[in-house]
Amino acid sequence: MLCPVCHKDALIVEYQDIELDYCPVCHGVWFDAGELELLMASAGFEDFRRYLDGIINAPETDTQEKKHKCPACGHKMKKAYIDPDSKILVDVCHIGEGIWFDGGEVTRLIQALAQKAPDKGPSQGVLAFVGDMFKYQE
Amino acid sequence: MPYWGWIIIAVVVIFIFWIIGAFNSLVGFRNQVKNAWAQIDVQLKRRYDLIPNLVETVKGYVKHERETLEAVTNARNLAQQASSAGAAERGKLEGALGAALGRLLAVAEAYPDLKANQNFLALQEELTSTENKISFSRQYYNDSVLKFNNKIQMFPSNVIAGMFNFTLGEFFEVTVAAEKEPPKVSFT
Amino acid sequence: MWEQIRSNQVRSVILIALIAGLLLAVGYFLGLYFFDSAVGGLVIALVVWAIMSLIAFFQGDSILLGMAKARKIKPDDAPRLYNVVEEMKIASGLEKMPDVYIIDDPAPNAFATGRDPSRASVAITTGLLQKLNRDELQGVIGHEIAHIKNRDVLLMAITAVMLGTIVILSWYASRFLLFGAMTGSGRRSSSRSSGGGAQAIILIVGIVLMILAPIIAQFIYYAISRKREYLADASSALYTRYPEGLASALEKIGSSTRQLKSANKATAPMYTVNPLNKEGMKVSDLTSTHPPISERIRILRAMAGGASFADYNDAYRKVHSGKPGIISKNTATVVGAVGIREASLSAPGELALASGKSAGRTTPGTHDVSDLTLRLDKWRTVDCECGARWKVPPGFRDDNILCTRCGRRIRL
Repeated sequence: MLCPVCHKDALIVEYQDIELDYCPVCHGVWFDAGELELLMASAGFEDFRRYLDGIINAPETDTQEKKHKCPACGHKMKKAYIDPDSKILVDVCHIGEGIWFDGGEVTRLIQALAQKAPDKGPSQGVLAFVGDMFKYQE
Repeated sequence: MPYWGWIIIAVVVIFIFWIIGAFNSLVGFRNQVKNAWAQIDVQLKRRYDLIPNLVETVKGYVKHERETLEAVTNARNLAQQASSAGAAERGKLEGALGAALGRLLAVAEAYPDLKANQNFLALQEELTSTENKISFSRQYYNDSVLKFNNKIQMFPSNVIAGMFNFTLGEFFEVTVAAEKEPPKVSFT
Repeated sequence: MWEQIRSNQVRSVILIALIAGLLLAVGYFLGLYFFDSAVGGLVIALVVWAIMSLIAFFQGDSILLGMAKARKIKPDDAPRLYNVVEEMKIASGLEKMPDVYIIDDPAPNAFATGRDPSRASVAITTGLLQKLNRDELQGVIGHEIAHIKNRDVLLMAITAVMLGTIVILSWYASRFLLFGAMTGSGRRSSSRSSGGGAQAIILIVGIVLMILAPIIAQFIYYAISRKREYLADASSALYTRYPEGLASALEKIGSSTRQLKSANKATAPMYTVNPLNKEGMKVSDLTSTHPPISERIRILRAMAGGASFADYNDAYRKVHSGKPGIISKNTATVVGAVGIREASLSAPGELALASGKSAGRTTPGTHDVSDLTLRLDKWRTVDCECGARWKVPPGFRDDNILCTRCGRRIRL
């Protein structure tokens, strides 16, 4: 797929049967809904659909960040916080095809993780996984 | 020549054509049976080739199942040695092999490590597919044999069949406990 | 079963004859009205039909497959898929193994094409391949192979071409009519006519025909198409000895609301499931090429006694209480009793690849289908020592990548 931000070819990285798309230019990460489901299932978290809907239906955030188009469905993605506590702002597809992390968000995520363990909750697994996979950047 | 002479000649000619036709038809059916059998044979051979690999793969993961493994190897060797026997004989041996294989695969279900092994999964797929192909080609073969045997036994082609010594085909029935097919009844 | 008794074809042939009749009638009146020559009209109709037939005949397969962006696969690319196609080839008595194609599309569907059984192809989307287990895959492939064996592709192509010709002729006729009316120089036959009355009648009949013919032809086309779908379902149940396989597959397909990226009205009948279902809607009336999925599933699941055509017919009558069966008696009794087999154990989406292609996996099969697409698209795969596996698109120019998980540089 093409990176929604730079429109260049994204790489795919697979670890423990979860696949993520990664843009080596802007360091953004696309977490496909199917992969999200796999990750949550392996962590024992059942209601992945409700989790995703929760993010999609969260109130529109007040942000200046540019909206990007979803690589799966082509429509503009919504900006939302991945969960009420963290300050990680992600782009989520309006029909739930997946979640996009900007390069900057990934960096912030990793820094936050370095300081303390992620809060309990379904996002914990997601953030921990992303943080683990992208510790080293160019 | 008197007119009835021509009639006799005509009748004789027609008769000869009928004989040729019936003979060719019998040969045609016999060839169809042979081809159908060849197709089954290919699948049976494939199974013989896959089994040693399967036994080796399973051995590493499965302790205390030596008897099951040996049963499969023995059944496979018996069936392979009888390669040139008739369909009825091979049917019995293939049935025994199928049963032994079934037991081995059932045992393998209890070993999650084995089930995650790539090689085992590929082999299992090949074996399942081969079983299915044997089953389908067996159906085709038996239908061909039925048609052939009907021709041999029914009047008037039975006369030709007798004259030229066409022998009845053997059905290939694999008797395995798991199969549930009711006896075939023909409504035609 | 090995001799397809053609009496089921008789009904279809009658329907085709009806369309052909319509085609000739349209040509006749077109010629009579515009050129004073019915024969001329017939000739034009036949010429247009012949040209379209030739195009469809010789290029039909490649056009269809090209439009769908289908890619041919080799046996080791997707062993389970290939094996299942081979099994259905044997079970159906097809002489030659069809080519197998994969379409990279998340919408679940499949289709078959081929003007005669010895030059046939079967195509399936990655979306479908990912969702089905082995029994379900066998059911779907069985349905497609049945279309090939029953020569449905040829039948539907002929019918489609006739329908197309009628539509084209009617369209042109209406244009001429309008043109004639607007410019006031409509061609009036002055030589051989027997008076204004006959003229008016021809005009009226002609206009009615121009309007109705395409509509009637469409209904006939859809009726034929639906009938062949039932027959294909029945054949699949017979070949696989396991109607629940196809039923379960249809259920999975039906519950997906995705629309296939590249289907249109012309190619719709060739697919297993109507690809033009609007998201969430049920398109299932006289204008639909496929019977409604829920009904197809119900019939298959009502086949309790066995897997033969007679059993499918009984199930059809059970579901549609009152209607006569869909399969003619002769076809239904060609095989004796056929028992239903046990289910087989398998997981959805597994291609059962040998170790070379996907070594070191924790749960084999999870990404088989998407990896297959990547391979076909010429992606490269490199494994990092830390356990991460990197997949690189073909256009990637750098000669190395940084593994973001462990920091190692990997040469490509």
